[in-house]
Formats: sequence, C-alpha cells, structure tokens
Amino acid sequence: MILRKILLPSILVILAYGFWISPDFKEIAAGVSIFLFGMVTLEEGFKAFSGGTLEKILQKSTDKLYKSISFGFVVTAIMQSSSLVSVLTISFIGAGLIGLTQGIGIILGANIGTTTGAWLMAGFGLKVKISAYAMPMLVFGVILIFQKAKSLKGIGYILAGLGFLFLGIHYMKDGFEAFKASVDLASFAVDGFKGLLIFIGVGILATVVMQSSHATIVLILAALSVGQITYENALALTIGANIGTTITAVIGSLSSNIDGKRLAGAHFIFNVVTAVVAIAIMDQIIHVVDIISDFVGIASDNHTLKLAVFDTLFKVMGVLMFIPFVDKLVNFLESTLKFKKSTAKGSSREIDTDSAKYLNESVLEIPATSMAAIVRETKHLYENSFEIIAHGINVKRSNIVSSMPFEEVVKESYSNTPVDIDLFYNNRIKGIYGEIIDFATKAQSDMAHEDIAILYKIKVANRDLVEAVKDTKYIQKNLVKYSNSTNKQIRKQYNTMRMDLTELLRTINIIATTDEEDVIILLLSKVKIHAKRYDIVANGTLDNLIRNSLITNEMATSLMNDSSYAFDISKKLTDMAEIIFIDSSDMRIIKEDMAMSDEDIETIINQKD
Amino acid sequence: MGINKFISSVEESLGLDESKKSSKQKSLKSFLKKLKKRKEKINSFLKQKSDENALKEKKEELKIVSIHIKKAEKILAELEN
Repeated sequence: MILRKILLPSILVILAYGFWISPDFKEIAAGVSIFLFGMVTLEEGFKAFSGGTLEKILQKSTDKLYKSISFGFVVTAIMQSSSLVSVLTISFIGAGLIGLTQGIGIILGANIGTTTGAWLMAGFGLKVKISAYAMPMLVFGVILIFQKAKSLKGIGYILAGLGFLFLGIHYMKDGFEAFKASVDLASFAVDGFKGLLIFIGVGILATVVMQSSHATIVLILAALSVGQITYENALALTIGANIGTTITAVIGSLSSNIDGKRLAGAHFIFNVVTAVVAIAIMDQIIHVVDIISDFVGIASDNHTLKLAVFDTLFKVMGVLMFIPFVDKLVNFLESTLKFKKSTAKGSSREIDTDSAKYLNESVLEIPATSMAAIVRETKHLYENSFEIIAHGINVKRSNIVSSMPFEEVVKESYSNTPVDIDLFYNNRIKGIYGEIIDFATKAQSDMAHEDIAILYKIKVANRDLVEAVKDTKYIQKNLVKYSNSTNKQIRKQYNTMRMDLTELLRTINIIATTDEEDVIILLLSKVKIHAKRYDIVANGTLDNLIRNSLITNEMATSLMNDSSYAFDISKKLTDMAEIIFIDSSDMRIIKEDMAMSDEDIETIINQKD
Repeated sequence: MGINKFISSVEESLGLDESKKSSKQKSLKSFLKKLKKRKEKINSFLKQKSDENALKEKKEELKIVSIHIKKAEKILAELEN
C-alpha cells in the first residue's frame, strides 16, 4: 500500500520531467497511453459479447487439453489481449463452469496467441502508414458506441479499440524516429549475460508499470525498428515482458477465489520456468531463430520480424515443454493452495464451518458468470440444507440417496441424541445465505432486466431452502419425543412423517442429479401430489385420530402443527427445485406452462385406478 | 405511445414475437416426444407382472404423464392456431 502511494507520484514526476526535457519522449509516452487505452476499449467491446455466445463456445471447446490450448490461442489472437482472456478464464473457473486443467490449457494457448500481436506489428504495423487505418476506425467506432443496441455498442468499442491501438503504434513509431535524432538509446546497450539480466529486469518493470506485455512488446518493436535498442537486448526485454505479465496476473488474482489463485500460480510457474530455460539456452534459441528466419525468407538484418520469430519460438517451446506436466501442475497447485476450513464443536459431533465456494470478485466481471456462480452456490446451499434436514429427521443421508426401502431408512437412525440444528444452521447455512444475497445485490447492478427477474427467483429459492431448514428445527422436537412414544398411533404418524420427508428428499436428490427433463417434471409433479395426499388434515386422518380418542389433545395439536411444517418443507423444496434444477434453455421456456396446477393435482388424487 | 407498447410493436413488426413462439413450439414438441416415450415405457412396465407397490407407483406416473401430454398438446394447438 505504502509502495503504491510512493510509486504512482514517482512515475508521474519522472514522466513530467521526461516530457519537459524531450517532446519526442512525450510522443512515445502518448503512443503507449493511446495503445493501452485502445486495449481497454477493445476489452470493453468483447465483454459486450460475453453474455452468452462466448460462454457456450468456451464450455464446448475446453473439454480436452488440446482444445483448451487452441481456444486460448484463437481467442487471444482475435481479442489481442491475453489479460482479458485470463480474466474471463479466472471468472469461469471461479463460477465452476470449467476446471483448473482447462483453465491452464487456455492460458497456455493465450501465451501463444499473444505472439500474433508481435507478428502484426512487425509485419504490418511498422511497414505501412497504420494511422491511415486508425482514423476511419475511430470515427465509425465512436458513432457506434453512441448507439443503444448492446451489440452495436460492442462493435463500436472494438473498432474504436483497434483504432486507438493503431494510432498508439503510429505515435510510438514516430516518437522513436524523432527521438533517434536527439538521443541514441542504443549507446546504452549492454552486451553479454549482464546485459541479458539487466534488460530482462527492464522488461519486467515496463510490463508491471504498463500492466500489459503486449504493449511492452509493441514498444520494443517500435524501438528496435529504428535501431534504438540492439537485437540482443530486445530479446531480453521480450523475456522480461513475459515474466512481468505474470506479476500483473498474480496481483489480479488476489481478489479471486482459490481457483483463480491457482490459475495465476500456474501462469507464474509457466512463464518463469520458460524464461529460465530460455536464458539457459539463449544462444541455441537465437541460432534456431536464424535458421527459421532463413527458411521463411526473412532477411538477416530484419530484426523486428526475427524478434517475432523469437517470441513465437520461445512461447511455443514453453507450451510444448509444459503439456506433459499439466496434470502434475494441477496436483501441485491443488495441494499447495487449499481451501481454508474451520471447525466448530457441536453437542455431540464436530461441524465444519462452511462458506461460499463460487462467489468472488473475479466472477463479477461478467453478468453471465455471476449468474452461474449464484446458481452453483445455491446448489451448494441446497446440499448443506439436505444434510441438515436429513439429520433433523434423524435419518442417514447416505441411506436417503440409496435405493433402500423407506421403512428401513427410517428404522436406521442417524444419531441417538438429537443433532443441534441451530449449530448446523449457524455454521453451514447462515454464512453462505448471507454471502449469496450480498453477492446477488452486487451482481444485479450490471444485469439486464430479464436477468434481474431470474436473479430474484434464485433469491427466493435460497430463502425457501433456509426456511425449510428452520421448519425442520420446529418439527425435530416432537419427532424425537413421539417417534419412540408408547402411544402406537402417534408413533406411527411421526414415523410416517419421517418417511414422507425421506421420500421427498430422495426425489429432490434425483431431480438434482438427473439431466432428463421429463423425469424432472414427472418427479416435481409427484412430489406436489404426495404433499397434498399425505396432508393429514386434508385427508381426514387427524379427525379420525381425535374422534376415536386414539391420541391426546396435546398430541393432536403437535401433530397438526408439525404436519403443517412438513407440508411447508415439501412445498419450499419443490419450489426451490423448480427454479434451480430446471436449467436447460428448452425447459426454461415451457416450465411455467407445464407446471402442475392445484386443479390437476385434485384430478389425479380423485381419479380411481 | 408508452415504452412497453413501443417495444411490443417493434417486436411485432420485426417478427420477434414469432421467433419466441416458434422456439416455444420447438421446445414443446421435443418435450412432448419425451413424454410419449415415457408413457410407452410405463405402459410396457404395467403389462409385466410386478409387486403391488411398484404397480401403484407406475399407475400414478402414468396419470401424471397423461396430464402433461394433454397440457402440452393443448398449448401446441393454441400456438399453431
């Protein structure tokens, strides 16, 4: 923090001094600034299209390592920003949409993708009057930015971004050409291993300050094209830029969840190891670059294109070197960077304190990933609620999710002493629920109206889960009291209630784990019918027990209240499942039309076989 | 003209409401197909000898599936008209 406070004013003072003594330096710095602004604008444009298409492509094209690498390469080559690809990848890992292995694959591909920037600059940017392309792009881009339609706005940002990138390159090139007349930077060149280390350091520093290796490499190429730096020093600067970019990624991951940190760790290890290997075999790499350049017809004095060859060779070599070790890298990162878990003492057992798994700042970058993360977190909350409700009615969770007959599930108790639902609630529900609501409030500020409506339903689903847990607490007291009562009738009623709730939990679990839409709809309807059919007030069971004095008045009151709580648990879990577990786009369109009405339920209950 | 009215008239003139309708029809048709397959499966199960509880359960499922098929067909007919 203190470093930051000192660093920024120092940079500003150095820049101001530089502008004062050299107008050419001012032009170069303006070029870099315009270029960086172009990158920010370009990222903004691509984000406008990240609402659906990009997510679908990302999910489909990252199931195998080679696909993730290709995806990372193509997307970075198109977007010309590995940092945007990193942000998107961290965001997707954070939301649980892709795994760490796929994420690492994308980052490896993105590293190769960034080399296209060097090729564009060396092969095109330095040879033609690039500003001639920049002007119309800026004009068309800005006009489109003012349009209301999201897609047009996105195209506008992309065009303006490219325009600024080109304009920035133009100013950098002009600045270095003019600068050459007054100051010869090449006189500062340092040869040998010492020079290699010094310029790697300069490359790291420049990239950390500019927050972009792409900008550093473009700057290196601009300086190299007018002979302001030597070819050897430019190679060292390129290696430095690659190390510097990982520092930016590590800083960016500090606000991310554990997967984001792991990904940044992978990025750091990859780039640093590749750089160390490149330093160790620098002479051999330069030799291979010469051979490749000769082979493709690049003149031996065309240092800018040779730098592009070096950049590509260096990065491709790194990726090839790492591919066999990706799984090992994942294992290493997973064992080194772990989730923090705390444990609280319960009445009879130790209960882990649980917190949100998928909600973090990195996911907030894109509305679609925010939504996906909230849905995943709700499913996490559901798993905890499922456990609490199961233990609250004193049955084993493993038995519920098995095919064991319900009578046997109820007979095999979870514990001889009642579990402390309050403790469970405080440690495994309350915190996550609070985090979901807080996160949803932050996320909705960037969402479209229709997404906010969906988010509202998800919030309701979360509330349903929390209330179902609370209702279980109310039931638990009498369940303990009456499920072993000497009164056969009341014992039977409470054990039936446990059995019905067990059936409900098993059904909801099937709904949560199946992809078959017709099964989901069928089971949801079934749960609704059973809740109505087994309502002892509606089906006359309670009246019968009272009329025939089979239970006491106190028992009757308890049974009536508790059956109402059981009905509420059933209703809340069903409503929650309808919102959370119907996630195919086809079903989302028709689920409201296909939902079972009260009238339908009555028809089925009254139908004779 | 209110904003909502404006949006709906734009949707109408661009045929966007038609595309909404057709995607709903498509979803309904595919769901109906699955339901009919499920109905066939239940019917073939009912023809086999099985214990009473399983039969009772399948009969209930058959009733539910039949209601959903009716519903889906009704909505489809409305959309097609």
